[in-house]
Amino acid sequence: MTTRSREERYAELIVRIGANVQPGQLVEVLAGLEHVAMVRAVAREAYRAGARYVDVRYVDPHVRRALIESAADDVLSWTPPWLLSRERNFGDEHAAVVALTGDAEPELLADLPGDRVGKARMVELAKESSRQVTERLCNWCVVGVPNAGWATQMFGEPDVERLWGLVEHCVRLDDSDPVAAWRAHTRKLASRAEGLNRLAIDTLHFHGPGTDLVVGLLPESRWLAVESETVDGVVYVANMPTEEVFTTPDARRTEGVVTSTMPLAVDGAIVKGLRVRFSEGRIVEVEAEEGADVIRGQIEIDANAAALGEVALVDGASRIGETGLTFYDTLYDENAACHVAYGDAYAEAVEGGQIEGVNVSSVHTDFMIGGPQVAVDALTRDGRTVPLLRDNVWQPSD
Amino acid sequence: MAVRVGANVGEGQVVFIGTQIEHAPLARALARHAYAAGARYVDVQYADPHVRRAMIELGPDEALGHSPAWLIERAQAMAGNAMLATTGDPEPHLLADLDGERVGRARQTDLARTALALITERKLNWTGVAYPNEGWARQVLGEPDVERLWDAVAYCTRLDEDDPVEAWRVHMDRLGRRAEALNALGLDRLTYRGPGTELELGLLERSRFGSALFHTAAGRAYVANMPTEEVFTTPDARRAEGFVTSTKPLAVGGDVVEGLRMRFEGGRIVDVQAERGADVIRGQLEADENASRLGEIALVDGTSRVGRTGLTFFDTLYDENATCHIAYGAAVGGHEGDDPDDGINVSTVHTDFMIGGPEVDVDGVTRDGRVVPLLRDDVWQLPE
Repeated sequence: MTTRSREERYAELIVRIGANVQPGQLVEVLAGLEHVAMVRAVAREAYRAGARYVDVRYVDPHVRRALIESAADDVLSWTPPWLLSRERNFGDEHAAVVALTGDAEPELLADLPGDRVGKARMVELAKESSRQVTERLCNWCVVGVPNAGWATQMFGEPDVERLWGLVEHCVRLDDSDPVAAWRAHTRKLASRAEGLNRLAIDTLHFHGPGTDLVVGLLPESRWLAVESETVDGVVYVANMPTEEVFTTPDARRTEGVVTSTMPLAVDGAIVKGLRVRFSEGRIVEVEAEEGADVIRGQIEIDANAAALGEVALVDGASRIGETGLTFYDTLYDENAACHVAYGDAYAEAVEGGQIEGVNVSSVHTDFMIGGPQVAVDALTRDGRTVPLLRDNVWQPSD
Repeated sequence: MAVRVGANVGEGQVVFIGTQIEHAPLARALARHAYAAGARYVDVQYADPHVRRAMIELGPDEALGHSPAWLIERAQAMAGNAMLATTGDPEPHLLADLDGERVGRARQTDLARTALALITERKLNWTGVAYPNEGWARQVLGEPDVERLWDAVAYCTRLDEDDPVEAWRVHMDRLGRRAEALNALGLDRLTYRGPGTELELGLLERSRFGSALFHTAAGRAYVANMPTEEVFTTPDARRAEGFVTSTKPLAVGGDVVEGLRMRFEGGRIVDVQAERGADVIRGQLEADENASRLGEIALVDGTSRVGRTGLTFFDTLYDENATCHIAYGAAVGGHEGDDPDDGINVSTVHTDFMIGGPEVDVDGVTRDGRVVPLLRDDVWQLPE
């Protein structure tokens, strides 16, 4: 028996269970330069799965840094038309998409002006990605790839082996049968989402140190787990790992104050001690110990960036939460604790799709607000208060 | 220097950088300098030869020649803009164990056609520069001595001069005068004689020798290759007769071709032999109907800095500047719509291979029948 490399086993999970690449499909891979070994394994596995063509785009944050330092203001958010065509074609052709994360230089942009960093986003490209998600055109999967820079950010030393160990545990690659483990796990999350839907929740309440937040839901809001289905009926797992159940809130009904419980890596900077105040659904005040300008820059990108697009519940049984570590990577950290996101909403999580109260924006940034000290309650439409999380323990029966 | 002298990036241009992961430090420096030179936007495209290998090995037939539409759109957007390409293959043998015929077919033909049209119609200012790396150093030197390769690259590109920009000006002036002297002769054909070589190549009456100092159609000067030591012209695609033996190994399509021998009849390559890699060449020659006709003739003498290093760089940018070479495929200075039967070749392929050296004599035969020695023992024979 030949021993397959860690990358090959991971690639198999990503291609077969995560993105679930179909024979004849076009495949996009989006990655950083440090993910090169994983990119190559994914490309090989995708062709084995019958991919028609694998189109890889490496994004170099140093080139982006040069853009932020030197380009004219109107170029910062410009999308080159050829990249927009590329992205549209993936949507039109119902491509499979694999995105690799694990920032090798999370503080590369930290010394640049925060407002320019926040504005340096390809807005048209983000809109097209959002269309693909909203119209359920693509089967996609986001996964983290260990590298020295990410490990150093987490541990203070480039212990890539230790990070691989954690990642393998979080994505269940350390299980004897990772495929069966994923089936059981996604079933559990799906039944949790069904339980929440039966409650008919009107508002969620988060109480904890520096947090007193009410998030209103729409009558049409539907709780989902991450396993989803495209318009063509292809079942895929969009995030690996995933531990959340999530829904789309009423963008007009968020009130109160919330303090982030974990640092947040966003746009090449680390935001720490973030405190945000909401009034009538919108962020009206942003404070942070570090990096507040990046958040302020982001919420000014368009008219609705300051309203919520997602609320997600995660309990302490999460494999990510169990590690007790901050990963400085949203894919991981958002699965360690409850979180909300300002910006674009998932219309998929709403009966009737893009109805009034469902936010539309070119931004979508998650930040973590849950933890052992934050109690979460639901107020149902018939007036009952139902405890959901106490001490990070899920209260309804699973 | 690549940004200022080579591509000569202009204020407000979009700069396209074609590179690969091992060249990232150079690509990043080019991006920063391009912005400093006034670039409006810098677009960096990293190619990954391992992903290409996966396609050739595991992908369907239809993937092999596929040019994604967005890449063609990107190439078209280069019109009026600047382009920088990096070379220096870190893994020259990466595709060597694959089916040579599939490797040969794995060319993005439509994309190549678009890019060649832009170059031959001089719609963009561009240059190619190499980036030393371990794999390339191992191939050239037998050991991963990147420092030594850097020294050779600095020497060849005149980066070792106190004033490289002035050194480049003097050098390009000299090559320009050499081209003028050739044009004054009124040549009808060139003949090559050496071990395994007996070749006669016809020129067109309108063939003009030039150096790599070009001007875009809009009048912007640029040096398309760094280094460059050649004067070159477009031959008559209908008139090549005889046989030729390549004097240097050739890195092409992820493999190294050695001991290449070709026979020409009526302007076309009719037989290909090689000690190694003949299938890659045969695959390329079948890419389209005129791939087997010549598109370029270039003369290089022994004063070439690249030649003087005595190294084989396994990189066409360097090796073609070490010695005389010819290229099968598209003519430099050709246009879409040219008719190869009128003499100027049109193809999606353009592959240079080296045919010169101390043992190969080159003569020119003028239209009035005089024989003029051009190269003996690698020494340039015309007065300079």
